[in-house]
Amino acid sequence: MGRYTKRHMPSPMPIIELQEVSKLYGFGDATTLALDEATVSINEGEFVAIMGPSGCGKSTLMNIIGLLDRPTHGVYRLQGRSVETMRAGRRAKIRRDTIGFVFQFFNLLPRMTVLENVGLPLAYKGVSPRRRMKLAADMLERVGLSGREFYYPRHLSGGQAQCAAIARALINNPKIIIADEPTGNLDSASSRLVMELLGEIHKSGSTILFVTHNPELTRYATRVVYMHDGNVIQDEETRLGEIAATARKVMYTLPVKTEEDDLAGVSTLMKARPDGDKTAKKVAVPKKRKAAKPKPKAKRAVRSKK
Amino acid sequence: MSSVMRGNIRMALSGVRGAKWRSLLTMLGVIVGIVAVVTIVSIGDGVKRQVAGQLSQFGADLITVRPGMVVKNSSVASISNTDVLFGMGSSTGLSVHDVQAVQHAAHVKLAAPLGIVPGAVQVEKKLYHNQLVLSTTASLPDALNHPITYGEFWHGDADPANVAVIGRNVATDLFGERVPLGRSFTFRGQSFLVRGVFAPFNASPLSPTANFDDAIFIPSQTAATLTQNNAGLYVMLAKADKTANMPQAIQSITSQLRTAHGGQQDFSVLSPQQNVAGSADVVRSLSLWITAVAAISLFIGGVGIMNIMLLSVSERMHEIGLRKAIGATRRQILSQFVFEATALSLVGGLVGMLLSLATVGLLYLYTDLKPVVSWQALAIATGVSLAIGIIFGAIPAAKAAGKDPIEALRHE
Repeated sequence: MGRYTKRHMPSPMPIIELQEVSKLYGFGDATTLALDEATVSINEGEFVAIMGPSGCGKSTLMNIIGLLDRPTHGVYRLQGRSVETMRAGRRAKIRRDTIGFVFQFFNLLPRMTVLENVGLPLAYKGVSPRRRMKLAADMLERVGLSGREFYYPRHLSGGQAQCAAIARALINNPKIIIADEPTGNLDSASSRLVMELLGEIHKSGSTILFVTHNPELTRYATRVVYMHDGNVIQDEETRLGEIAATARKVMYTLPVKTEEDDLAGVSTLMKARPDGDKTAKKVAVPKKRKAAKPKPKAKRAVRSKK
Repeated sequence: MSSVMRGNIRMALSGVRGAKWRSLLTMLGVIVGIVAVVTIVSIGDGVKRQVAGQLSQFGADLITVRPGMVVKNSSVASISNTDVLFGMGSSTGLSVHDVQAVQHAAHVKLAAPLGIVPGAVQVEKKLYHNQLVLSTTASLPDALNHPITYGEFWHGDADPANVAVIGRNVATDLFGERVPLGRSFTFRGQSFLVRGVFAPFNASPLSPTANFDDAIFIPSQTAATLTQNNAGLYVMLAKADKTANMPQAIQSITSQLRTAHGGQQDFSVLSPQQNVAGSADVVRSLSLWITAVAAISLFIGGVGIMNIMLLSVSERMHEIGLRKAIGATRRQILSQFVFEATALSLVGGLVGMLLSLATVGLLYLYTDLKPVVSWQALAIATGVSLAIGIIFGAIPAAKAAGKDPIEALRHE
């Protein structure tokens, strides 16, 4: 790892800084705008929930922050350094050393044991197999999966699999954990288990970003970012243990399923915007920039993931 | 890096084990190619060793005179107008008079003719039609520098006409015992007494000389009587008085014979090295063919591996995406897939080597070829299968490594 990671940076400095980042997919008429000049900065140690209707660009944002994808336009500084034009090899090393991923569908490799899955990132770092096994076993103990080292992923429950995936994300002591709907595929008990685990990790100083559709889960977060049509429309700091004010207001309109529902949900969200609320930080939503943007038609077709 | 490699090797091998049939079919081309390569190299080594053995056995001063003209193309001597294996069928043979001429040439210590006497051999009412009977003189054991194990060779004219000395295989095949001294056989209406048995010859199967283990030797005087002087000689063996004098001996034999043949050079005088060049030629052309077959087979094997690896890469696109997400670099993904391809080809090579050991064993037991499996042959086989894995695994591996992580992750 080395050069890139600076372990002791002053806390208020943003660890993640996106300035007017856009992401376009496709060509010509089929161009879709997944991120529309989104500007976000996240400080070290924050536990950020990212919410918004399907196709609003949450996952695209996560992928760009996680260095899996590159922005089409805009600047992305990770730990103060511009990374959007960095070579693939260095980006891979940053992913390895600085970022831990947790996915909705766990993404454990089926042909490897839980222990091997958890130790895999260490292999890419060149850690010896013996030490890899040791560290992975320790990490499994930390997530409450000791005794399951030699199980295969198919033998684990959803909650256990996600805990194993979190153990894998943690194995390199990353500064940032990125979780794209980590509870999207879990029942509520397992969701609680996973979120509590993330909460504990947060307490030990990691910066965590997670995407969720469940307003309940904002109680674990210190900050909630709402997105719509590729943009951040609301950014709210919350207290740990409380459901975010805005999220509470939209709670009963969710879950959203179709695009119609999405629009309805967002309009509720717009109405619910707590203009007078001092705890919520209002973000200057760029409204009058349509002239500089592609056709509004393209905007309607916004979609980001699978 | 090394631990990644170890993990890759283990993963790759478990991959081969996991899909046995698929892997086996993929490896088939490599297996066939490696069997061909190892077998041909072993045969070549075996023949080389036999030729060398023959050279050292018959001595480095044995001059061979054959009917027919040697054509020199490049450095390789080959005999034209003659049957490479026996020298029979040439229109102008060597006659008994030529033996005299050779014997009187300068620097020649002794000369022994060898002629083929056609006819069936009868041993105790059993007829052997294809028995090789050679006419020669008493100087043959000296010319060949070869001992008689049992009994003795005949000594010139003092001995009775109807005696014979036989090769080892004749003793066991025709007489059913190893020392059939004093037993007799009938040949062309005459009864011959077995007087001696030659020690086993170290004959190379592709050499231009007949296998003397299978031959019956009778005196040339007797043979001349039996065939009314019609039997031509197919070869004449001569020895120089000193090894150093061999070039002069060859020269004087040539001039003597040319005079005897009226200035016509319709014969060849060969040094031992030139004599065995023929068998080297046979091996060389055989090698060329089998090498071509092996190369084609290995190429097809490589393409098969590439095909399976391309399939594997697209099947495991999601896995590749995940590995990239958790920090695998391009190079690490590349090496993982190259390792998998190499594991396939190396296991194929190993199976091929085992099969070729079996093939070589069967050849050794059931043919005159005595192939030798050298460590060089096995090293070549290993190197070739390694190279195939790397070369044909490179394209699929590069495809995997070059994939965009997010695109790869989207694959299901």
